[in-house]
Amino acid sequence: MIKNQRWIAYAVIFVILLFVPRLLSIHDLMLFEYGLTFAIVGLGFNLLLGYTGLLSFGHGAYFAAGAYTVGMIAKYLPGAYSLEILIPAALFFSLILSIIFGFLCVRHTKIFFSILTLSLSMLLFALLFKLYHLTGGSDGLRVPLPTLLGISFKGIRRPEFLSGTYYYFLLVLFAVSCVIMRGIVSSPFGKALQAIRDNEVRAELIGIRVRRYRLYAFILSGMFVGLGGALWSFVNGHVTADLSHWVFSGEIVYMTLLGGFGIFEGPIIGAILFTYLKLYAMGNTQYWMFVIGATLIVLVLLLPNGVAGAIAVLLAKLKRKKALEGTTC
Amino acid sequence: MWVIYTLNGLYFAALLFLTSLGLNIILGVMGILNLAHGSLYAIGAFMAAWTIIQVATKAPASFLFLSLLSGLVLAGVVGFLMEKSLIRAMYKRTLEYQLLLTFGALLLLEDVIKMIWGGQAYYASAPFDLLGAVDVFGNVYPIYFLFVMCITFLAGLFIWFFMGRTKLGIMLRAISLDREMATGLGLDIGRLSTFAFVLGSGLAGLAGALVVPTTPALLGIGMEPLILAFIVVVVGGLGSLKGALVGALLVGFTRSFGIAIFPEIELPLLFLIAGIILVVKPQGLFGR
Amino acid sequence: MGATAVSVGALGGGTKAIGQAKRPIPATPIKIAAVSFLTGAAAAPFGIPGDNTFKMCTDVINKEGGILGRKIELASKDEAGGVDAQVKLARKLILEDKVDVDLGYISSASCLAVLPLADESGGLIVAYDCGTHELMEGPKSPFEVPKFKLGFKSSAHLGIDNIGLALFIKKYYPNIKKVAGINQDYAWGRDSWLIFETAMKKLMPNVQVVKTLWPPLGNTDFTAHISALMGAEPDIVHSSLWGGDAVTFTKQALGMGFFKKIRMAYSRGEPYPQEVGKDYPEEQIICCAGTHYFLFTPPDKASATLQKWFVAEYRKRYGKYPSYPCYHAYQALYAYKNAVEKAAKAAGGWPTIDEIAKAMTGLTFPSPSGPITIREDHSAIEDVLVGFSKMTPKYPFPILDPKRMEIFPAAQVNAPVGMRTVDWINSWK
Repeated sequence: MIKNQRWIAYAVIFVILLFVPRLLSIHDLMLFEYGLTFAIVGLGFNLLLGYTGLLSFGHGAYFAAGAYTVGMIAKYLPGAYSLEILIPAALFFSLILSIIFGFLCVRHTKIFFSILTLSLSMLLFALLFKLYHLTGGSDGLRVPLPTLLGISFKGIRRPEFLSGTYYYFLLVLFAVSCVIMRGIVSSPFGKALQAIRDNEVRAELIGIRVRRYRLYAFILSGMFVGLGGALWSFVNGHVTADLSHWVFSGEIVYMTLLGGFGIFEGPIIGAILFTYLKLYAMGNTQYWMFVIGATLIVLVLLLPNGVAGAIAVLLAKLKRKKALEGTTC
Repeated sequence: MWVIYTLNGLYFAALLFLTSLGLNIILGVMGILNLAHGSLYAIGAFMAAWTIIQVATKAPASFLFLSLLSGLVLAGVVGFLMEKSLIRAMYKRTLEYQLLLTFGALLLLEDVIKMIWGGQAYYASAPFDLLGAVDVFGNVYPIYFLFVMCITFLAGLFIWFFMGRTKLGIMLRAISLDREMATGLGLDIGRLSTFAFVLGSGLAGLAGALVVPTTPALLGIGMEPLILAFIVVVVGGLGSLKGALVGALLVGFTRSFGIAIFPEIELPLLFLIAGIILVVKPQGLFGR
Repeated sequence: MGATAVSVGALGGGTKAIGQAKRPIPATPIKIAAVSFLTGAAAAPFGIPGDNTFKMCTDVINKEGGILGRKIELASKDEAGGVDAQVKLARKLILEDKVDVDLGYISSASCLAVLPLADESGGLIVAYDCGTHELMEGPKSPFEVPKFKLGFKSSAHLGIDNIGLALFIKKYYPNIKKVAGINQDYAWGRDSWLIFETAMKKLMPNVQVVKTLWPPLGNTDFTAHISALMGAEPDIVHSSLWGGDAVTFTKQALGMGFFKKIRMAYSRGEPYPQEVGKDYPEEQIICCAGTHYFLFTPPDKASATLQKWFVAEYRKRYGKYPSYPCYHAYQALYAYKNAVEKAAKAAGGWPTIDEIAKAMTGLTFPSPSGPITIREDHSAIEDVLVGFSKMTPKYPFPILDPKRMEIFPAAQVNAPVGMRTVDWINSWK
């Protein structure tokens, strides 16, 4: 019963989202697209955090992998610069990177896991920064408009591209990501991950191969984040090494917490909220770091389940109230 | 010249070791990765710089120690406030929250520093100038660097003695080894944790204060030391002081001679060493 | 005071008197965004001086009635937060806040990411301080200009500094044998060294590069570098070090006896004698990122008057002599002001963005450093001043020795339109 309700809600939201370009100004639409790409990132990140219980402070590395795949192909293989090649390529490279880093990291848990992921992402950062002639170093790489299935977008400006074809492309990929992630977390694999999160020893005892499953979660997570990074790069138009810096990874964690990592939809809401939060803080005060930092602290202390979590609790209370009211009559 | 290269290596190693000391203690005793470590370092730097500038025209030698102490003290105070207000609330919660709280503290403190000290640079080189230089085999070497190495050595010695030989230190180590057991044995976890956090914070502030006569205090001065401290902890092993020392020396000498022989290696050097250690011995040189 | 000499006949004059009012002047204020580093290591040396200047000039312009009678409403924004944050912010400023012009950007990465947004979002952006020569250059010579219809750079790029240094060294030290370089390991340092090395190869082919060092940005321990350089025994060392790194290097090098045998040549070293103070070593070669120097008097009267006012006013308000980021900020704001006034005359009312852009192309206007020209490639070209540091009784820090200052004209240090700087240098005879 509940399952169907959920899917109906999703379908309704999807239809609404189809009309968003007509409802929002171009500026707000582009901002929303940042939110959507980060929503995909958040979904991937939360597979590892919320469902497997591993906090990575270095997921920017996979975001960078996806984004730089796009940037590098634009620079070195302009002939292959079309979305149908770029997206799989981004997925491929984030896959490779998450296998390598994941293999090193999943041997450990808790604090050391976080430290390792942070260190490895900073290693990538140093490489991207240092190899100036290859990657553009601190200047970064430009991301021009791609082609899609033979359709070229030459001559139109980025805002038009983003509010037209690209929006629907992004929306479809977002929807697909949601569906796939939903499938993953509801599958036996997803249940196993949660079992590992809750009690590692018991999971091992009932035959779940903990380390292997953690690695799979890590890899899947990395791929989603890489996809988000690639999609993001077209919205931003420019990629720089600081995508792999730990502070950027910290923002990914922030978003997930803001939305709530105990709920599937949490990261999506958190991604969109954070995008607006940071921009409006920067737009309105020079002490925007104070605002973001204070918000984070207040969030952790007062709303540890995030915004989505708080809403869920509220809804549950209302439901209970309604149920009670129903019975007293 | 090679003597100077060696001294340079020692100096950088001293900086690394001292910077990582505070982080390591908090990590080892409380299991908390204090991402605001760099902010405490910065607070120490700004406080010391400000004090030096105020005192500069008055008493000659005493202000050296005064300035260092002021940085250490203020960082310790901030650490105390942090622990009482934020960290305390998080003991019962999971790791994610602790990391995020210290991350939030980092962002907050970065702007608080700006609110208090503004955006300009603070030059406080009086101690550096005062100590002058010494002749080492025909080369000039500033005595201040030797002073830093001495202080670091003393700090390291103090921590080693404290952790190993004093009752307080042994209690802290007990907590780091097994928190539940320690509670069971009747140790006042709350007070001890606060103490550990304040100690770690003060050491971070000391590191920042020591550096400020050689380089201006600027906004963002704590970001790099945080990463450096991090790498030393990764290379040396979590909570291991011996590892931090060895790691710091390894990196310090490799860097000093590397710059002279193969300069391109400098930027990624730290991460390369960390990377190799992570692959070969993931828990660090002396980690558990 | 000085600004009245500047206004190229636009105040009062033709605009308000037009009876038919082809384009009425709006009564609302002009919204200008000024984006500089207000946090982080670049704040103290660049962002804050730049921002101070924007505020100072806005104040002065408003006191005199604004631009064509419209007051300026200045909003200062922080350039920190990452390049993606700057892209979002620039879009917000142009599309949502609807600023009339976005002046800003110190970091080359910000400039490269943000300037394309001018055409994308239909807003005027004037980059004021970033150094990269890649900003307005195309991938190959010759390249089409302008790169951006609505994007401008109101100061010259790092090419002039490094070519200027090479020319200076050739003049004063034609017989040296060995040079070295110490530059921060990121695009700025790499680009600076590249231009310098290319120019040196052409001008002084017999000079050997004995060492190139690449400390990371924000390095606080230069002891290893200082020793390595001393061990290599170069005659002159090129450096584009800036901010805290430049000061740290100088102090530590002083302590280690570096300057007894080696001379530094700083591509943007003008602010540091004032920062370091009386201990700053003499006889160092210092370039001013243009002719931006508080003791430089431009030859033309309009600019000379401006310089006198500018130095006095900045010092009165902020307690220091202005450094080159201040001059750069002036240029950006006044490029806009002069372009608006020029365009208004042609349009007979308040000009559109396209008209302002058209007026800014090819614009020449006086500034405290001399006349500034923005070419058809939307990039400013400047003369460059290089000199020796020398202690005098009048100032508490070394100034540039007035007897041995060289000013290399713009044509000698700026590549012609459409040609890449490196290609141009390589084509010298």
